[in-house]
Amino acid sequence: MKPAPFEYEAPSSVEEALRLLADPAIETSLLAGGQSLVPALNMRLARPERLVDLGRIEGLDAIRDENGALCIGAMATKRSIERSALVAQKQPLLHEATGHIAHPQIRNRGTLGGSMAHADPAAEYPAVAVALDAEFRVIGPSGERRIAAADFFVTYLTTALAEDEILLEVTFPERPAGEGVGFAEICRRHGDFAMAGAAATARLEAGRYQDARIVLFGVDATPVRALSQEERLRGEVPSEALHAEVAAAIGAGLEEPPGDQHASPEFRRQLARTVSKRALEAAVARAAKA
Amino acid sequence: MAIEIPKNLDGLPTSQRRFVGRRVRRREDPALLTGRTEFLDDIKLPRMLHCAVLRSPFPRARIESLDVTAAEALPGVEAVVTGEDARRWSHPAASSPDGWGGHCLAGDEVRLVGEPVAAVAAQSRAAAEDALEAIEIEYEPLDPIVDPFEAMKPESPLVDEAKGTNKMLDRVFTWGDVDAAFDAAPHVFRESFRWNRVGANPTETFGAICEWDPMSLELTVRGSIQSASHFGLGRAAVFGLPSNKVNVIATPHGGSFGGRGGTRCTDVACLLSRKAEGRPVKWIEDRMEYLTAGGSQAWDRHYEVELAVDADAKVTGLRVKLVDDLGANGEPYGAICAAKPLAAFTGPYAIPVAAYDLKLVATNKLPSSPYRGMGPPPHFFVLEQMMDIAARSLAIDPAEFRRKNFIPKDAFPYTIPSGNEYDSGDYEQVLDRALELADYAGLRRQQAEARAAGRLFGVGVASAIEPGVFDWNAYAIVGLPGTGVPEGATVNIDILGMISVRVGFAMEGQGQYTLVSQLAADYFGCELEAVRVVPMDTQSAPPSFGPGGSRLGVAITGAVLGACEKIRGKMTRVVAGLMQTEPENIVFRDGKFGIPGVEGASMSVAEVAGTMLARSDLLPPDIDPRPEATHVWTAAGRTEPDAQGRAKSYLTAAQSVHVVAVEIDPETGQTEILRYAVVDDCGTRLNPVVVQGQLEGSVAQGIGAALYEEYVYDDDAQPLTTTYMDYLIPTVNEIPELLRDEVVTPSPFTPLGAKGCGEGAIHTTPAAVLCAINDALAPLGARAREVPATPNRVWNWIQEAGDGNQTPQGEGSNG
Ligand SMILES: Cc1cc2nc3c(=O)[nH]c(=O)nc-3n(C[C@H](O)[C@H](O)[C@H](O)COP(=O)(O)OP(=O)(O)OC[C@H]3O[C@@H](n4cnc5c(N)ncnc54)[C@H](O)[C@@H]3O)c2cc1C
Repeated sequence: MKPAPFEYEAPSSVEEALRLLADPAIETSLLAGGQSLVPALNMRLARPERLVDLGRIEGLDAIRDENGALCIGAMATKRSIERSALVAQKQPLLHEATGHIAHPQIRNRGTLGGSMAHADPAAEYPAVAVALDAEFRVIGPSGERRIAAADFFVTYLTTALAEDEILLEVTFPERPAGEGVGFAEICRRHGDFAMAGAAATARLEAGRYQDARIVLFGVDATPVRALSQEERLRGEVPSEALHAEVAAAIGAGLEEPPGDQHASPEFRRQLARTVSKRALEAAVARAAKA
Repeated sequence: MAIEIPKNLDGLPTSQRRFVGRRVRRREDPALLTGRTEFLDDIKLPRMLHCAVLRSPFPRARIESLDVTAAEALPGVEAVVTGEDARRWSHPAASSPDGWGGHCLAGDEVRLVGEPVAAVAAQSRAAAEDALEAIEIEYEPLDPIVDPFEAMKPESPLVDEAKGTNKMLDRVFTWGDVDAAFDAAPHVFRESFRWNRVGANPTETFGAICEWDPMSLELTVRGSIQSASHFGLGRAAVFGLPSNKVNVIATPHGGSFGGRGGTRCTDVACLLSRKAEGRPVKWIEDRMEYLTAGGSQAWDRHYEVELAVDADAKVTGLRVKLVDDLGANGEPYGAICAAKPLAAFTGPYAIPVAAYDLKLVATNKLPSSPYRGMGPPPHFFVLEQMMDIAARSLAIDPAEFRRKNFIPKDAFPYTIPSGNEYDSGDYEQVLDRALELADYAGLRRQQAEARAAGRLFGVGVASAIEPGVFDWNAYAIVGLPGTGVPEGATVNIDILGMISVRVGFAMEGQGQYTLVSQLAADYFGCELEAVRVVPMDTQSAPPSFGPGGSRLGVAITGAVLGACEKIRGKMTRVVAGLMQTEPENIVFRDGKFGIPGVEGASMSVAEVAGTMLARSDLLPPDIDPRPEATHVWTAAGRTEPDAQGRAKSYLTAAQSVHVVAVEIDPETGQTEILRYAVVDDCGTRLNPVVVQGQLEGSVAQGIGAALYEEYVYDDDAQPLTTTYMDYLIPTVNEIPELLRDEVVTPSPFTPLGAKGCGEGAIHTTPAAVLCAINDALAPLGARAREVPATPNRVWNWIQEAGDGNQTPQGEGSNG
C-alpha cells in the first residue's frame, strides 16, 4: 500500500500555493491533515502528480471572533476546535458535533477545511455549516470570493470550489439569543462515520416555535435541510406528538437514501426519523423558555 | 529413569511457591510497551529485496494473456514471477480436505478476488508496487459461484473443474440411536441459523523474509509464523526439498488468533528469491491484502438444528446440519473448524445421542482460515439458542433448564456422544456463582419493570465448553492424520547455575515465556529473572507445535517440568556420589539437594552444576556431565478415531457461564450491553493475570462476532469489507467492564491440573449476547437467528415481527 510517485511542496504563503495550484502542466492536490487524502493516495485511488501541503502557511489555523461572528481558518484542526472555549461559547453546535468526528488521533490532524472540501456525505461539519448558515471564504487566481454553505456542497465529494481555488476560512454568524441546539447521530461504533445524523437549532417565543432548523447528513449526497418541516414547526407548541410527526415526514420526504452493508435505504430512512426527532428535542430542551 | 510431572501445585519441589499460580506480570511486556520487540518488518538483511503481489480483481475468470516484460525492464526491479514459475519450481500446497490446494500463483484461471497472479521483487516496496502497474494482463470474467446451496446443485459450475464437485465433504455422523430419541420425544424444536464470516485480526499482519540458497539448495524463512515446524514441513513439500533443508525462524508476532496463514505469498517470495539468485525477499502483507486475501476470514455457516426434549425437560437428542462455505480452496485448514465441534458437540449438557450432517462447500470466496476457538463458537451459538427456545416454550427459566441438563459433577471423566472425554468440572457451581455475581434475580426484576414500560430488556444465560490441548485426531474427519501433538523444551543450567530454556515457538503475546520462567524459577528456587527463554529455529528446536488449540500452557508446562525432573534426577546421582549415599536418600527442595536430618549435607543447584562442569574428578563414572535435559510432552490416553470420528481428542474441557443483560433500542436496532458477568473453570490458573487477559480479549472478540464483525461479499463475490472502515472491530468504547469470578476444579489429566484456556470466552460470548437479545425481543415475537445482530438486522426482525412475517417459532409436532 504505497502511493504512486508524486512531488511534494510546502509553500509558506497562500500566494505561492495558488501559483503552484494554477500550473496546468502538473496535476496538483492540496494536502491538509491528510486523513482522507493520504489513505486515498496509498490505495492509489488518488494519484496527483504533486501535493501542495498547506501546513506551513502561517495564520491559516486561526480561530477568532470578528464582530460576534466566529471565523475559523481552514487549517484549524478538529482538536483545536473541540478544545476552543470560544467555539464552545459562541457556536455550541459546532463544538458538540466535533466530538463525534472520528477519534482523537484523527481529530489531532484532520482540519475543518479538509472536511468541508472533502464533502463526505456522512461528515458532520458540512451539515453543521448548513445549519448555521456558514460562509466559505475562498481564494483563486482572480481573487477572493464568498460562498454560502447552502451553495457550497454540490454532490457526493464535490463542492463549489474550483480546481485552482483554496478554502481559506469558514465564518459562522453570531447565534441569536435564546437559541437551543441539538445534535444526534447513529453510528455502528463510537467514532465511525454516521449511518444517519442531524443537527438542529430552535428558538421559542411564548412557548411556541419562533424558528427551527433541521439538517440531516449521511442520508443523501449532500446535507439535507428539512425546509418544509422547519416551516411547519413555526408557531407550533413543541410536543412529542408534533416532533414525531415532523420526524416521520422528514423520513418519508427523503428522496433516495443510500444503502450499504451497514444500513439499507429503508433503515436509513428510519434512522433519519430518529435523529431528526432527537436533535430537535435536544434543541428545544436547551432553547430559552421565554 | 521414569519421571513424574507434578499433577498439582503442591507437587512442585518448593515450600514457598512464588511464581506458579500467582499473578505474575508478563516478562514480555516491557519490551513490547517500549517498542523494543523486533518484529519481522524491523528486520533488514543485506541485499534484501521487497515484494509486491499482483492480485486478481475477479472472483472467477480465465487469464487470457499475461505479459511481464515491461515490469521486468523497470529500474529497481530484480525479479518477476508468474504462475509459470510456480508450476516449474513448486507443487500445489497441502490442504484440508486433501487435494483442495493449489499453486501459489494462478495458472489459467483465478478463483477468488485477491488470488496472486504475479509478483515483483524490487529495491523497495514502492518500486515493486509501481512495477505491478506495468504488468499487462487480460481476464475473461466468468460467473462466480457465490451461494453454497447453489454450488451444491449438480448443474452448478465448478470452482475447480478437476474436482468434479463443489462439495469438499458431505457426510453424516451418527452417534447413538438418534432417530429413536427423536421419535420418542414429546417435544422437538427446530430452527435454522446463520453465522456470517468473521475472523482473526492481529495487530501485525503476516510477513516473511525468504532466502533461497542456490548453492546448498536450502531455504530459510523468517516470519511471524504461528506453528513454525509445520510451516517448514509444508514449504519442504511445496518446493520438493528435504525437510532438513528448510529452516524456519519464527519472529515475535503481533498477535495471531489463527490468522497467520500467509503460505501462498511466502511461497511467492521464495520463488522470487530463487529467481533473484538467492537474494532475500521480504513480503509484508498490507491490511487490505490481509482483509481480502489473507488469513482473515472464518466460519461462514448455515445451520439447521433440532433438539429433542422429554417430559421431564431433559434434552434427549441433538441433530445439527451444517453447510460451511469454505471458499475457493482448503489450504488454510479452515475445515478443521467444522471438525472441532466433535470435541464438545453436546456442550456442557448430558445429551445422550447426537448427529452431525456436515457439508463443506467450495465457492469463489476467500478460503476459510482458523480463528480463535476454531469452530465451536458458532456451534455453541446455535446450541444455546436451541436451549432457550426449548426453555421458553416449556416455560422454564433458562438458567434452571441448563442446570437440569448439565453433566453432573460426579460423572467425570465423562464421554460425550461424539467420542471425546471431558476431564472434570462442577457446572452447577459455576452457574450458581455466575447468577449470584450478575444478580440474576435483580436483573429479572429490572426486566419486569422495563417490560411494563414497553422497553426491550433482555437477560441471557449461556454456558459452553472450551476444549483444551488440541489433538490431531480431533480433525481426522477432514483428513488430518495422527494422534498426539508433541511439545518439547530443553532446560540448561550453566556452570554458574543460570538457567536457559530453549523452546520451539516465537513470542506471540500470551505470556508463555513468562510461564516458562515461572515454572523453572519455582522448580529450581531461583528468581524469575534468572531464567532465560530462548526461541529456536526449526532445525535446532526440540519437536514443537507451538501455540494453538488452547494447548501451549498445558503442553509447555509438561515439557519444562519434565526436563526439570530429568535434570533433578541427574543431579541427584551426582550429589549422592559426593555425599556418599544412595540417590534415594537425596531430597531436592527449595533449590537445594540434601539428606533430610543431616545437618550441612546441602548443595545448591549452582554448586552441583559447577561440579558437573568443572570437577570431573568428583563425578560418578558414566554420568553425562551436562546439566541439561530435553523433555517432549504429549498428551497421554488419546485414541485413534473410529469410523464415526469418535476419539478421545482434546485433553481438557474448561467450562464457563456468562450472564448478560442488554437493552435494545427499537427505533435504531442498537443493542446496549448493560451488564456482563463471567464465571469460568479452567482448572489450575498457572498465571491468573494471563488468564484474565485471555478472558477479556476473548469476550471482546465474542462481542465483535455477536454485534459488529462481518466479512461481506456482494452478489458477484466481490468483498465489500476491505478496510477497517467496514470490518468493524469493537473498541474499548463498545466493550463493557466485566464482572468476573472463577471456580477451580483441577484437571486430573494434566501437569499441575491446568486446562486449556487460551481461546476462552469467544466460545460463550456470542451465544450469551444472542440469548439476551432474543430474550429482549421475545415480547414482540421477534427472533434473532443470525450474527452479527447489527442494528439494521435487529430493526428488520422487529419490523418483520410487527408485520407478522416471521415463520412460527420452532416447536414442531412430532410424528
Ligand atoms: C478512521 C477515520 C474515521 C473518520 N471518521 C470521520 C467522521 O466520523 N466524520 C467525519 O466528518 N470525518 C471522519 N473522518 C475524516 C476526517 O475527518 C478527515 O480529517 C477529513 O475528512 C479531511 O480533513 P483533512 O484535513 O485530513 O484533509 P485531507 O485529507 O488532507 O484533504 C481532504 C481533501 O480536501 C482537500 N482540501 C484540504 N484542505 C483544503 C483547502 N483548504 N482548500 C481546498 N481543498 C482542500 C484536499 O485536497 C483533499 O482533496 C475520518 C477519517 C478516518 C481516517
